[in-house]
Amino acid sequence: MRHDTWLDALAGELRRHGVAEQTAGNVLAETAAHLWESGDDPLRAFGPPQAYAATVAESVRPEPPRRAPGGPVLLEVVGITKRYGRRTVLREVSLAVRAGEVAAVVGANGSGKSTFLGICAGLVSPDRGEVRVHGSLGYCPQGGGTSDFLVPDEHFLLVGAGRGMSRADARDTGRAGAAALDWDPRGGTQARHLSGGTRQKLNLVLAGLGDPDVLLLDEPYQGFDQGSYLDFWQQVRRWRDAGKAIVVVTHLLNTRDGVDTVLDLTPRGRA
Amino acid sequence: MELERRSQWLRGVLDLCVLGVLAHRESYGYELIQSLHAAGLDGIQGGTLYPVLLRLQRGGQVVAHWREGGSGPARKYYRITPAGTETLRRSAADWEAFAGGVSAILREVAAR
Repeated sequence: MRHDTWLDALAGELRRHGVAEQTAGNVLAETAAHLWESGDDPLRAFGPPQAYAATVAESVRPEPPRRAPGGPVLLEVVGITKRYGRRTVLREVSLAVRAGEVAAVVGANGSGKSTFLGICAGLVSPDRGEVRVHGSLGYCPQGGGTSDFLVPDEHFLLVGAGRGMSRADARDTGRAGAAALDWDPRGGTQARHLSGGTRQKLNLVLAGLGDPDVLLLDEPYQGFDQGSYLDFWQQVRRWRDAGKAIVVVTHLLNTRDGVDTVLDLTPRGRA
Repeated sequence: MELERRSQWLRGVLDLCVLGVLAHRESYGYELIQSLHAAGLDGIQGGTLYPVLLRLQRGGQVVAHWREGGSGPARKYYRITPAGTETLRRSAADWEAFAGGVSAILREVAAR
């Protein structure tokens, strides 16, 4: 592979991994100097740009990654039990998420992850237990949540209006959120014509509109490609750093994703 | 030698070897690879070395600065810090003890 092509790809991937501009510039200059002096083939010496960028990002991320805990608890879930008929889906589940924390909800299929999030969002009522939310709430469902005949901008205005935002603010904030996920929502494509992955991006942007204090995200990256998946976790980190409390339902848990708490709903005996 | 095993060994000590080379004099990536090669550690690729340097820099074990590289592009030179020297000193003793134990066991096997 030509040096320039490889270096360009590396530059893009470093940005995607959230490596600070100056650090990325240094890495690129050092890599280019090495290639110049050694005459090495970049692919042989450094591997694919994507993988190398991930290694670099890992190597420059400030350690320890844990900020001091002690933000106020924004989401409190205490002793939730939920039955469907005779089947107990959730039994005595509790969770507390502080400002600036990410909690991952994991578990086998059918272990009640979405039910749990629905209860946190107030859309499903539990049989026992209590949910306390301190602040405003943004919810990104696993599917649905968009209106087939509205274009993305109209979604931003509609949801923004519900959260007290002006039209211009809602539209601009929505478009900025979309850009962070590598998506340009302008142009009049109705939601029903968007791909599944893009509809999920729309859902995710809508969840973040109006700057809610607590974000509940139900496997929001279904249909995302690898790049968008990284953009998603990047967005989660930005929210975390802005002091949000975030709950992500996921079946893919990568240790690098920077999760503070893991709630495993796999029933005992099946784990 | 089994390549896989050798690269695993290297992974555990490459940062110390880099500090060891830098303890003599400051150096930059490509030159470090050559120094390590001269010391018998060959086959280290840029993709392995530079992340190690970044982590050493992040941990305050080395500091870096850019300098003109003669006819070519500027080079990023690394210098060991007092913290790095301390790490090296402590780890060198640990390594002696560890490698001594391994050697004693393996020598016995080889002598049989």
